[in-house]
Amino acid sequence: MTLNIPVIKLLVAKDWQLFQKQLAVCVLAGIVSLCFLGLAKPWAFYVGSLMLIIVMVSSACFSIATSLVVERKEQTLAFVMSLPVSPLDFTVAKLVGNLVTFLVPFGVMLGGTLAVVLFTPLPDGLFVYALLIFGYLLFAFSVSLAIAMAVETEGWATFGMIAPMVLINPYMMALTQVPDIKDRIGVDAIVWTTPAVLILSALVTMAVGLVAATAWRHARKPAFY
Amino acid sequence: MTLAFSLSGVGKCYPHFALRDITLDLPEGQVMGLVGVNGAGKTTLLRLLTGLAAPDAGDVTVLGHRLPEGQVAAKRDIGFASEDMRLYRGQTLRWHMDLMRGIYPDWSEAYAVELLKRFDLRAEQTLGGFSHGQRVKALLLLCLARRPRLLLLDEPTTGLDPVARIEVLEALADVLRDESRSVLFSSHNTHDVEQMADSITFLHQGRLVASADKHAFVDRWRRVVCQGALPEGLEAWPEIASARANGSLVEIKARAWDAGMPERLAAQGLQVQRDDPMALEDIFVTAVRSGAVA
Repeated sequence: MTLNIPVIKLLVAKDWQLFQKQLAVCVLAGIVSLCFLGLAKPWAFYVGSLMLIIVMVSSACFSIATSLVVERKEQTLAFVMSLPVSPLDFTVAKLVGNLVTFLVPFGVMLGGTLAVVLFTPLPDGLFVYALLIFGYLLFAFSVSLAIAMAVETEGWATFGMIAPMVLINPYMMALTQVPDIKDRIGVDAIVWTTPAVLILSALVTMAVGLVAATAWRHARKPAFY
Repeated sequence: MTLAFSLSGVGKCYPHFALRDITLDLPEGQVMGLVGVNGAGKTTLLRLLTGLAAPDAGDVTVLGHRLPEGQVAAKRDIGFASEDMRLYRGQTLRWHMDLMRGIYPDWSEAYAVELLKRFDLRAEQTLGGFSHGQRVKALLLLCLARRPRLLLLDEPTTGLDPVARIEVLEALADVLRDESRSVLFSSHNTHDVEQMADSITFLHQGRLVASADKHAFVDRWRRVVCQGALPEGLEAWPEIASARANGSLVEIKARAWDAGMPERLAAQGLQVQRDDPMALEDIFVTAVRSGAVA
């Protein structure tokens, strides 16, 4: 079982080109939201953090929608499958393409957020809290990606994108119910507590595991239909 | 004889449709027309030939590669365009051509430019602004300029206006001058098939109804008008696909006409008045209705 690397690279580049306009808008909106956060005022923090979450959720959804859902809906998938690729090549190209198009704005926003927390008057305790939120976004993205690759219908793919992202709200509320996390948010120091480490590790492990399981499942298919 | 593809006892089952026991060969350099109504199994057959679908039974070999295992190698030499295949609406035709050039080493930019002129397409225009006919031509351009050894076309002329249809058929006719290139194209338009194909295959409800050389079809199938009364059991003759009485005339559609048939019919009290070759559409409809497998 060998991979057709040159064609996979071209397909990843194709997905990047198809997504780059939305990507530019997302990064721009993310930078604006970071500016609000950096003002370190209560109202600006609220606006900035809300905007940042919206930007990240949009970025994840745009990436999956452009690469998988729209491709099925607009019947361009048949065109891609007619190219000299195996189901394994196709799966690898889709996974890598989605990860790249999501992880680039994710990385920019995560780095920007941590820098804003560290280099503005905002309390440094937000550092761990921000990582926990970004960790959830990564996990939610991997769930959405796994579902979008597994299902055939646009409805289920859309549900798979929206449901995990919407759950960020109860997740954030749940975090504030953990005293070891809640009590450290307003402190001007980075404090790694056991619950924070466990939650973050679990989220990252599950995200990586889901992507790996998706790749393994699709790699075993001998044909597309 | 080198085969462009070979199907042997191929079956593919879906929840509401099954393609059964298909055995079919296409010699290299030949053009085969695949005729069937919507839902006959044409698209499934083409998906099997591109390795997109794996057969549940039988063997599929294309350009010497067993599918679906060898689909990557086979698809390097296959140009596949289907009626339900779309290009990226937000991207230009030039973007698609560049993508193809990166994937196919045999891509001919000169031929692509020639086809652009011939089809009157603008490379810098986004596909979203193309009409249906232009989209079909763009798809064909992307298939043809990569110089495939086997061209698989699923309903290439469906939905085209008469001018675009003729342009597409003429371009295909040019392609067919290359004797090493093989073509399988499906259609429910028998006129297009009759015009282009060397051999014709009828597919109905997932089964192969008939497959033969085009001229053999036309030579063998006859509409025979006889004087007399319709004798009992005539339709059971293996060479007769249908027979019906109309007053004192009997119209027979024979699937295996030969010079001895008038004599055999005369023995049944039928005097042959005339025998005419049948149009492909009539042959197809009669073959499908008679349910015979040839």
